[in-house]
Amino acid sequence: MHPTASSRVSLTQQAIAVLWPSFITAIAASGAFFSAFHPRDLVPFNLDLELSPLAVYSIGFLLFWLFAALSSYGTFYFTLSNPTSDERKGE
Amino acid sequence: MSAQTNTSGDGSLYAAHRKVYPREVAGRFARLRVLSILILLGIYYALPLVQWDGRQAVLFDLPARKFYLFGLSLWPQDFIYLAALLILAGLSLFFFTALFGRVWCGYACPQTVWTEAYLWMERKIEGKRNARMKLDRAPMSARKFRTKLIKHTIWILFSLWTGFTFVAYFTPIDELATGLVTFSLGPWELFWILFYSFATYGNAGFMREQVCIYMCPYARFQSAMFDSDTLIVAYHPERGEPRGPRRRGAEPASLGLGDCVDCNVCVQVCPTGIDIRDGLQYECIACSACIDACDDIMDKLSYPRGLIRYTTENSALGKGKRILRPRILVYATILLLLCGMLLTHIIQRIPLDLDVIRDRNALYRETRDGLIENVYTLKILNMDSRPHRYYIEADGVDGMLLATEKPEVEVAAGAVEEFVVRLQADEFNLEQQSQTVRFHLQAADVNHLRVTEEARFVGPGSNR
Repeated sequence: MHPTASSRVSLTQQAIAVLWPSFITAIAASGAFFSAFHPRDLVPFNLDLELSPLAVYSIGFLLFWLFAALSSYGTFYFTLSNPTSDERKGE
Repeated sequence: MSAQTNTSGDGSLYAAHRKVYPREVAGRFARLRVLSILILLGIYYALPLVQWDGRQAVLFDLPARKFYLFGLSLWPQDFIYLAALLILAGLSLFFFTALFGRVWCGYACPQTVWTEAYLWMERKIEGKRNARMKLDRAPMSARKFRTKLIKHTIWILFSLWTGFTFVAYFTPIDELATGLVTFSLGPWELFWILFYSFATYGNAGFMREQVCIYMCPYARFQSAMFDSDTLIVAYHPERGEPRGPRRRGAEPASLGLGDCVDCNVCVQVCPTGIDIRDGLQYECIACSACIDACDDIMDKLSYPRGLIRYTTENSALGKGKRILRPRILVYATILLLLCGMLLTHIIQRIPLDLDVIRDRNALYRETRDGLIENVYTLKILNMDSRPHRYYIEADGVDGMLLATEKPEVEVAAGAVEEFVVRLQADEFNLEQQSQTVRFHLQAADVNHLRVTEEARFVGPGSNR
């Protein structure tokens, strides 16, 4: 996918563009989710994990972040590697 | 407000970054900013140390799912208050932005506050602007290495303190401190301390103005709250242009010059590295450093102050100042209404909750006396800061009896108590197969501590 815009943006800026909006989304998602559900009531796949509430909140937040980041990355990827973009037409 | 980046269509997201070396500045607005920063940092680092009623005054106790704000303790049920508080904070930002422009950015935003603190440390260690630029240009040497090492060590220590304080808002600070000195900190506490420290170190030490320019959502949409009567930091081009250097004491008019001596100090002090003389730009965080810097130069030249000043677009055009305008009145009305509603709700909040769970094993049973009986589990949640005794009543069916082992229940402060009650009613008094009954929970000592909860009473069906 060269020379698309993404190849000209530094890796740090790409990472921030993906991780930063998803970070904010993850905060909102964790806030809403854990207001409604108590960590005690969450038993994923019937596993007996014995996690402290703080661990459940933390893992929950990181998972929200991961999924939001995947979505952010998708948007980033499909926007900047759009085959009908000007760069491609110019080739 | 125009974005200067990415107009050339070359597809690059951000303009190539040049490190900004803000020059130190003194003056009335600089003093105000330092004062604001010290107060805010003071609040941040001291608040977890404040005690209230034998506990930490401000604590978001996640494991116990209770939020303490001085006298107020909030439960997950009170989520609505936190949401309302957030909305209020957002609306206040709208209101103050419409009135005073980006005062938040220049004086109160954590990004500004910590960046200024880190810049201050940098100045103390690496020296003034020119010294810092020279140091960065110079090849690595023992002296440069030592200076950088000292700076980063101090930055990291300050970051760790910041991260520790952040986690202390969620885990009581005495537990956290004990855990730290005895090396028995929980893994997640440690993770969040390091996470927040790293974020502080990166944001305040390296990212700085780039956070405002590229990452801040508020910077992007604040123009929607601006109008021509919003306070902005602006250069006075009619007075300043044409700019140019001159000898001290020279009369600018005779040289065909304006008041701007083109000394570039306003550019050097700018933490976001812009030239305010190019007009209002979205990178401008209205920190007013350029005002102080320019006033200083004007004083030296015996010119009147205010070549760069706080003004509004209208007053710069000579149209006068207008503070009360529809936008302000609308924001203020909504803000006051919401504040009033929130306060009324908090004052009238009944710190008591009753949950009624019908026994699902049997729809109903018949007692020896031939009455229809339903069994319920009652959960009393005392959200008050002191214990209470409660008694329970029920109505909804004529002549209904309430049977329980505990006619009065004592519930400790912030505790949940569960007990079983049985309701018995004569079949002939039941109007439907399933009808609504109401449980009333009343505190014995406080009249207004009373909640009502509905439940279903199930019988064999209408016999009439």
